[in-house]
Amino acid sequence: MSTPAWILDIFAALMLVVAAVGAARLVVLRPWRLGRAAVIADIDVSHLLMAIAMAGMLAAGLRTLPNDAWAVVFGVLTAWFAYHVAQDARREGSRALAGGHCAPHLVHAGAMLYMFLALTAPAARGGSGMAGMGASGIQTLSLPVLAFLFALVLIGYSVWDLDQVSGPGARPHYSLAIPRPAPAAVLVGVSAGVQAVQGAEPSGAQAVVPAREGGVAMVAQPGVTDQAASCAIPVSLTGTSPVLVPWVATACRIAMGVTMAFMLLIMI
Amino acid sequence: MSDIAVGSSRAGWRARSVPEAGAARAAPDARRLLQLALAGVWLLDGVLQYQPFMFTRAFGQMLGATAAGNTGVVASPINWDARLVEHHTVALNAIFATIQLLLALGIAWRPTVRLALGASIAWSLGVWWFGEGLGGVLNGSADPVNGAPGAVIIYALLAVLLWPTDRGGRPAPFTAARAVGVPVARALWLVLWLSLAYFALLPANRAPQALNSMIAGMESGEPGWLAAIDRGAASLVAHQGLAASIVLAVALVIIAVGVFLPPPAARATLVLAIVVAAVIWVIGEAFGAILAGGATDPNTGPLLILLALVYWPLGTTSAEPGPARARQEEIPA
Repeated sequence: MSTPAWILDIFAALMLVVAAVGAARLVVLRPWRLGRAAVIADIDVSHLLMAIAMAGMLAAGLRTLPNDAWAVVFGVLTAWFAYHVAQDARREGSRALAGGHCAPHLVHAGAMLYMFLALTAPAARGGSGMAGMGASGIQTLSLPVLAFLFALVLIGYSVWDLDQVSGPGARPHYSLAIPRPAPAAVLVGVSAGVQAVQGAEPSGAQAVVPAREGGVAMVAQPGVTDQAASCAIPVSLTGTSPVLVPWVATACRIAMGVTMAFMLLIMI
Repeated sequence: MSDIAVGSSRAGWRARSVPEAGAARAAPDARRLLQLALAGVWLLDGVLQYQPFMFTRAFGQMLGATAAGNTGVVASPINWDARLVEHHTVALNAIFATIQLLLALGIAWRPTVRLALGASIAWSLGVWWFGEGLGGVLNGSADPVNGAPGAVIIYALLAVLLWPTDRGGRPAPFTAARAVGVPVARALWLVLWLSLAYFALLPANRAPQALNSMIAGMESGEPGWLAAIDRGAASLVAHQGLAASIVLAVALVIIAVGVFLPPPAARATLVLAIVVAAVIWVIGEAFGAILAGGATDPNTGPLLILLALVYWPLGTTSAEPGPARARQEEIPA
């Protein structure tokens, strides 16, 4: 007997919610309009992909891509976040490795890559998805120590995130409050569409972000920027859209961390 | 789109935002970090409870086995509980796992930390009786190398010692003393470790092959490298049960009295406690048998290590109660 299918379905449903939130954040943010700055959407892209992949692992009916394809996707994501963690470490020292903003995402991506590479059940070979954990007995992972270590780290990050998001004086990234536009926000044409603020190079500590349709252009100032722009949408970009509120991404990360730890441990 | 003045690269954002990172918020204090560690163990515990094995009748049978050797008063409720679990395995185990998950999330979520810690004490005491047969304490089967006095009772002890309150106006010498005071905290430590020393010397544990058999029995289902460690350790203590028990008991007594010593000596005994707990976790408990896929919790090793950290002597600054530390914890009343 394996873990009951209805429990797996609950976790799969949770992952679908995370995927929907990730997709909604991308739609609202419209990162494709930001050019090179679109990289700030990497978290939401990774959340979307991980949640879809995990939902497929948990429920056979939600399978999407073959395992090998997912392994490639998460290999790329792991390399992406590893690069940014290395950059953070070069600038901020070893602190970035443990407490940096990109590090948890590196662990998440690495755990996904490990899961897709370490599946030992025959159904994992060449199939599209993992045949569902509840379908015909549980699948197992090779190198169970790695699964255990990943689970421990994921649990650690989940607990830490929960503490930070509920604590006083939370950093902007964790704040439960809907961030307000910077006081210097400048209203621009309501139907201006995509408006690049020509010639408005940031001076000093300010950076002007483009107006969204019917929205505002905002000036990011030191006091309102996110603590770590890498791997995060700066608070100044979130405007007043509830789905872009910083803690939403953190909540998604907690949900994924717990679900991923669950998956790793039941497949040992 | 380099004309979009968003910094046009994340490096630009980073360069501007990093200086604010540290100033925004103080790091949690030692007690909060230890509470989070406890939350992490509960979360691990909850997730382990969702393992496939726990949804089989074997789980109920495992509970029932803890009744053996206990008096009727203790054993009857365990047998009743085990039968109930055997008949409603899926529903009850799902509830058990979810409760443990919620305890973890409740401790990590600051507004509910008191509620969750209180609930965890009640839950731990219930599980200690109904799920662990009081850790074998009353039937002579308790073995410190293999989980005595029951992992779950240490969860309860940690919840008490990490309760978010401060007694008295004087700085506490270690985190555990903040909630219950120095004498009570020291007494609890003494009782726990002396009882472990006593269990180490029980006839069943000091028999020539007792330790050897126990360690060798942990091999089953473990990865090759861990099984090899167990085999090596088992052969090391073959026919040496009495000597090994005496050495262990002496170490446990030293640890027990360590918290009464001046800080440098106390630190040394706490390091000894951490080392002993780590050895027990790896060799005696095989990481709680998590890698074999049948663990309900990580067993006592990591909890004893966490407990030792709760008694770690604090520096003057961090031990000092006051507005700064209150701000760091900020646990709603």
